[in-house]
Amino acid sequence: MVAPQAGVTAVPIALPQGIAASRDKAAASVAAPLEVVGITKSLGGNLILEDVSFAARKREFVAVLGPSGAGKTTLFRCMTGLLAPDRGVVRVSGTPMTDWHWKSRRHVAVVFQQYNLVGRICALDNVLAGRLGYVAAWRGWARRFGRADRLLALECLDRVGLLSRAMQRADTLSGGQQQRVAIARALAQQPDVIVADEPVASLDPSTGAGILELLRNIRDEGVAVVCSLHQVHFARQFADRIVGLSHGRVVSDCAAGAFDPAAQEKLYGSDSPA
Amino acid sequence: MTAAQSTLEQLERNHRAFAWPKARLWLAVVAIIAFYAVSWRLAQIDLARLATGLPKLGHWIARAWPPNTEELPLILLRTAETVAMAAIGTTLAVLLAIPVSLLASRNITPFPGAYYPVRWFLNALRGIDSFVFALLFVASVGLGPFAGVLGIALHTWGSAAKLFADHIESANLGPFEAVRATGASRATAIGFALVPEVLPVFFSTALFWFEFNVRASTVLGVVGAGGIGQELKNSMDLLDFPRLFTIIAVILIVVTALDQVSGWLRRRLV
Repeated sequence: MVAPQAGVTAVPIALPQGIAASRDKAAASVAAPLEVVGITKSLGGNLILEDVSFAARKREFVAVLGPSGAGKTTLFRCMTGLLAPDRGVVRVSGTPMTDWHWKSRRHVAVVFQQYNLVGRICALDNVLAGRLGYVAAWRGWARRFGRADRLLALECLDRVGLLSRAMQRADTLSGGQQQRVAIARALAQQPDVIVADEPVASLDPSTGAGILELLRNIRDEGVAVVCSLHQVHFARQFADRIVGLSHGRVVSDCAAGAFDPAAQEKLYGSDSPA
Repeated sequence: MTAAQSTLEQLERNHRAFAWPKARLWLAVVAIIAFYAVSWRLAQIDLARLATGLPKLGHWIARAWPPNTEELPLILLRTAETVAMAAIGTTLAVLLAIPVSLLASRNITPFPGAYYPVRWFLNALRGIDSFVFALLFVASVGLGPFAGVLGIALHTWGSAAKLFADHIESANLGPFEAVRATGASRATAIGFALVPEVLPVFFSTALFWFEFNVRASTVLGVVGAGGIGQELKNSMDLLDFPRLFTIIAVILIVVTALDQVSGWLRRRLV
């Protein structure tokens, strides 16, 4: 198990302008974008997570693997602030989530299995939702955003290859396209970390591979990506590091290349998926 | 004896034995029969009276032809009054219903403690018919369509808000939570993610209540709350069947036409 080591991994790198615009945040240069430290969580008397710790560094794609019921969903809900852990802390760029104002949620972008776009509005407006944590409330109601925000949203759409679909209603896009719009929405938040909860579980294998490739390329722009997956080969192919979760505990944490059949068997048991 | 045979015998024994579910079923059947028997008596169903009354009705219908169209302009004006009452009353009700429905939706209300009081309030509005409200308002604000508008608005407020809240409670909250996760406030997320999702259903519900209220407000005139109902009652009291025929025909034409228009609107906008 790798303990989160603040300050060791981070080398200050100037972020490219545009999508991942540099943020004035002293802590961001020293602390890992996401640190999960000793999280324990019980739900309805059942111990779901027990002393879970790992960190996602800048420019790192961490895949979280584990059989159903291992506690992945609960872990992800803790990482996005939807659940408060009983013990332990989640830190985003050094700041504990417990200190958060609701606007702070913008620092963690979430990509959902079911995309969760607003179906009746266009792709661009959905991406602009990523700016709601930055702009005044009335802009959300009126769906009127400033020029800089609209330009940023269009750049994000271009980044996921859907600039030409900007004005198309979200519910007329294919599943893979909707997930790309959801990733563009996450990018528009200019987050420290993108948390993706089984982002390819509803997609066919080749579309899913495209989505994961996109997430891997995005991490080059200076965000951390934490992604839960069911397919071990996808994790090996796209992730930098694999964290294995079983019965609520971290049972392996290694470089993706080091995740061999032995590690796989340890995680899933003898009849593990291919 | 195989396991299957012993299971079968066990099932057969259970079937013969006295069992609560079976007894409850029979009790329910007896209770339902008793309920209808009592209702039949209370409603004073008398088929003989129907047999003698029907020919009288047929005689009236025969006398209604040819219809009297002398007062057609007045009848049209009163019908327009009825439609206007329904339009203003429904619009007022829908505008009031939207904010209240947010409070009455368990999944997004910002004040969970207010959920039950708000639901009770809406049930009270819904439980009192616009006809009854109109009676009260005729007594307080005087005769005329305004009393009818207030009656329609109050009853429709409760009914529409309840339907709106039910739609919100069954709406897919995924987009709402996704927008919340971007750091948007609850109010912003409602405006951004929930409103586009429920707006078409709200609109369709509002149209339904408009159609319903046009039909309902034809009778509001009977209690003096304006509209075509007053003329209807006058003709009936005077046994002026040719005029009554014209009034009913106009109501039918207008109601049918409005149903068509709102059906077309619904298809266009939803």
